[in-house]
Amino acid sequence: MKQFAYLVPRSLDEAISFHEAHGDRAKYVAGGTDVLVKIKEGKILPDYLISLKHILGQDRPLLNQETGELYIGSFVTHRMIEKSAIVRIHYPILHDAIRNIGSVQIRNVATIGGNLVNAVPSADGAIPLITLDATANIQGPKGERSVDLARFFLGPGLCDLERSEILIEIVVPPLLLRTGSAYIKFGRREAMELPMLGVGVLLSLGESSVTCVKARICLGVAAPTPIRALEAEAFLVGKPIDGGTLEKAGKIAAKESRVRDSIRGVAWYRREMVGVLVKRMGLKCMERIKKLAQ
Amino acid sequence: MQDLKAVGKRIPKIDAVDKATGRVEYIQDIKLAGMLHGKILYSKYPHARIVNIDTSKAKQLTGVRAILTGKDIPEIKFGVYKDNRPLKTGKVRSYRDEVAAVAAIDPEIAQEALSLIKVTYEALPGIFDPEAAMKEDAPLVHEEHKTNILKMPWKLHYGDVETAKKETAYMVENRFSTTWVTHCCLGTSGAIAQFDNTNNLTIYTNTQIPSLAQKDFLSALKAMGLRDKRVRVIKPCIGGGFGSKLDTYAYEYLSILLAFHTRKPVKIVFGREEEFFATSTRQPTIMDVAQGCDKNGKLLFRDISMVLDNGAYTSWGATTPSVMMMPITSLYRVPNVRYEAMCVYTNNTYSQAMRGYGNPQATFAIESSMDMLAETSGFDPMELRRINANQAGDVSPQDFQITTCGLDQCIDEVEKRLGKKTPKEKGVGVGFASLIHVGGGARVYKSDGCGTIIKMDDYGKINLFTGATDMGQGADNMVAQIVAEELGLDVADVHVIHSDTDVCPWDVGAHASRTTFVAGNSALGAAKKIKARIFDMASKQLEAPPEILVMANRMVMVKEDPKKRLEIGKLLRKFHFSTNGEMLMAEYFYDPENENLGRDFKGNTSMTYTFGTHGARVKVDEETGKVQILKYVAAHDIGRAINPILLEGQVYGGVMMGIGYALTEQIIHEKGEIMNPNFRDYKILTIKDVVPIEAPVFETFDKDGPYGAKGIGEPGCVPTAPAIANAIYDAIGVRIKDLPITPERVLTAIKAKKKLES
Repeated sequence: MKQFAYLVPRSLDEAISFHEAHGDRAKYVAGGTDVLVKIKEGKILPDYLISLKHILGQDRPLLNQETGELYIGSFVTHRMIEKSAIVRIHYPILHDAIRNIGSVQIRNVATIGGNLVNAVPSADGAIPLITLDATANIQGPKGERSVDLARFFLGPGLCDLERSEILIEIVVPPLLLRTGSAYIKFGRREAMELPMLGVGVLLSLGESSVTCVKARICLGVAAPTPIRALEAEAFLVGKPIDGGTLEKAGKIAAKESRVRDSIRGVAWYRREMVGVLVKRMGLKCMERIKKLAQ
Repeated sequence: MQDLKAVGKRIPKIDAVDKATGRVEYIQDIKLAGMLHGKILYSKYPHARIVNIDTSKAKQLTGVRAILTGKDIPEIKFGVYKDNRPLKTGKVRSYRDEVAAVAAIDPEIAQEALSLIKVTYEALPGIFDPEAAMKEDAPLVHEEHKTNILKMPWKLHYGDVETAKKETAYMVENRFSTTWVTHCCLGTSGAIAQFDNTNNLTIYTNTQIPSLAQKDFLSALKAMGLRDKRVRVIKPCIGGGFGSKLDTYAYEYLSILLAFHTRKPVKIVFGREEEFFATSTRQPTIMDVAQGCDKNGKLLFRDISMVLDNGAYTSWGATTPSVMMMPITSLYRVPNVRYEAMCVYTNNTYSQAMRGYGNPQATFAIESSMDMLAETSGFDPMELRRINANQAGDVSPQDFQITTCGLDQCIDEVEKRLGKKTPKEKGVGVGFASLIHVGGGARVYKSDGCGTIIKMDDYGKINLFTGATDMGQGADNMVAQIVAEELGLDVADVHVIHSDTDVCPWDVGAHASRTTFVAGNSALGAAKKIKARIFDMASKQLEAPPEILVMANRMVMVKEDPKKRLEIGKLLRKFHFSTNGEMLMAEYFYDPENENLGRDFKGNTSMTYTFGTHGARVKVDEETGKVQILKYVAAHDIGRAINPILLEGQVYGGVMMGIGYALTEQIIHEKGEIMNPNFRDYKILTIKDVVPIEAPVFETFDKDGPYGAKGIGEPGCVPTAPAIANAIYDAIGVRIKDLPITPERVLTAIKAKKKLES
């Protein structure tokens, strides 16, 4: 394995200045579960690793009681999110996804920001956050900016980060009343798994608790980046939600998916599963809405 | 029943604490003074002529100590068919072919040197499908062999299958297939070779066959011009064997050659990816199976032919048809049997022994076919099995003498625990499959023996030197418990030393589920000799004839008058520190009275046979094709449980390996290239995938086994896949005949069935 120097900045500004000083020879690292594997495999060969995990104030997801926004620091570990009662109760879709990433050992060190900037089509962290309309806050040499997480992913391994920029925070906007959300990681085993498919669904119902007022369907491993099934979402809005409508939405989403053959799964099967799983996650949303109401 | 103090007790694995705290030494941990690190350059093509190898740049790299290519080494041939060489010359026949080897002062430099070696290839057309490889115009993997079909005629015909076919009332005929799976040992392969000044070799290596490996390495030394030398094989702690270490491999010979050239110890340790692509797999098979029974359900015949993908070279794996013969001729009573198997060279990775040694493949076909025959004939699947179950006293068509047999009990127990089939929940089903396996050694080599030496110290403690190889399965506990029981000692009083050929007696190897039976009997024999000697000594001291003495609680005593007793340590010291003193030592070599298979493949290969029945309750998701195992029962007749926790461990581990084989595991090959050489994409099951397993045991107390025990190393993974396939059929009426049973295959079958019905 290639040797590198390990730099430990105490603030974001310091981290960014380190990166600016070393340019392409440097790489940010947080949990290291992706970066170190890539170094071991010789896919990247940085001379400097700039550690972000010692920067303070990034230990747990925080709910802003006034605005209803959920703030998740980029360097919060998956395990912290998994253990967060706020997430488990109010954002079950995120809990569904996070608790099935890697193994406990991996979740203890891997960070949510790392999962996002790694930008693989199968990122389990990205799908629920896009489904929740999350925003990514980014800091760089030119200051701060925000980007809709749905637009953050540009291609496999590519995301909307300029040189020296750091993804510092995820912001989830307040949820509408009568909202349910659910995610399924569809794979071949229960742990240490990359999904063959990831499906996140969010449904908000109107006052009657029947008609859909908002729908989000986000798919992982169905295209080079996470994608939203916009036509299927549009189909659901304004309709009463039941098994039949969800089945139709699933079929539309399946058509929208751009699945392909790989050693991890064949396209026809993945496409078909988009249909099945969108329906199932939709039904799970409905169950969760009902449960909230009780 | 005897009141036993050590045998039958749930005593944790002797080295469990050392393993859990990281104190045991694996090959990765061993460092010798001046040690160099070796790396291997593999082929870039599945089949190609080697035009030129240019090592000049690599040789100039600082820190490189030796570079070897096929031209630099003598003609060392290895493998059961002697068709493999440590470094290839002329051409490469698979992606895992070794083309060059480097020794350097650290692994990184060795790795860098590999990247500087320039090999020019001329690609040749490859052959990857064994059936295509059998055709006359197929490219030849080994030109000098003239054909891709190995000249190993696996062929038997007992009784008269053709006549039986005419008399049969019900018959089924089907084709099944299995693919490549691999052992996934957590400890990767590795070896360190070292020569002394007079060219005697010491090699530390992960092996299940220290004594046979010694013989292989002696032949290599001979080929290197080193005659009349000594080879010492030391096996460090192994992180899993499962049959993968039942042969010697190129990397071991390369560590020897590099050590010889550099005069330094050379270590080669595999990375995980290398472990996946450069070690051997279980044989993929194509199996045509026909079975028939009369109107009473009695099996009349079994007719099976197979094609096995041998890969580019031949390891012991090519002899797995000899073990497949066991279930084919002897699982259930079947009077007329015909079997033929062909192993075929391809440009794929070459296969090897893997837990079950052919039995999982054959049993998958036979037991799936049994359920199909049950349906055709209208018999309940379990009833059909009961009608044909083996019984103690049977002699099978292959001349296997069934001494003890708990198959009936296993069938009943599994059925009881999984319940009758009706009433049925939608998508839920149960399925069963049974097994026979060698349980009393297996004479596949000239000797099936194992030696033991016992040395007692002045304090009543024992050093026990066994030929047995512990690789995590618990051979060390097993011999310690048997000896402690026999001599009335604590298990902790017995220190087991294993797997150093300079110290330990000969053993044929940790294969064929033979260690408990053979090494156990060997240890028992040595203990009995010690016991006789102790009784002899004590008899004088206690003024009592030896026949009325017993050993218990570290004492020797008069059975009917336990107050007349002597502490064993005291007795030993008395005899040690007296005129003409003596110390107590004993050796025993046990070689069972089993038989090699004859030219007709008949012969009682094992002293006894282990039986078992597995059953699964599954739930099939008809929209996704996913199979969930709700409950799994694996019942075995094991003679006697020497250590129930280790026994259960073997069964649980075997079952999980079997479930992986059934549902998820496969090495994905694309034109000879392994596409998933990592745990991310090779779907071995994880701790979170463990299903509820019950492992009832039946003790039939085999007269030849140590304390009545039979072997249980392999059975856990033998009938798993057919039990699950049968359960899936019961659940949703689709029959999957190819492993693994992926959701895609299940869903495809569901769709085909729906299409057929509509």
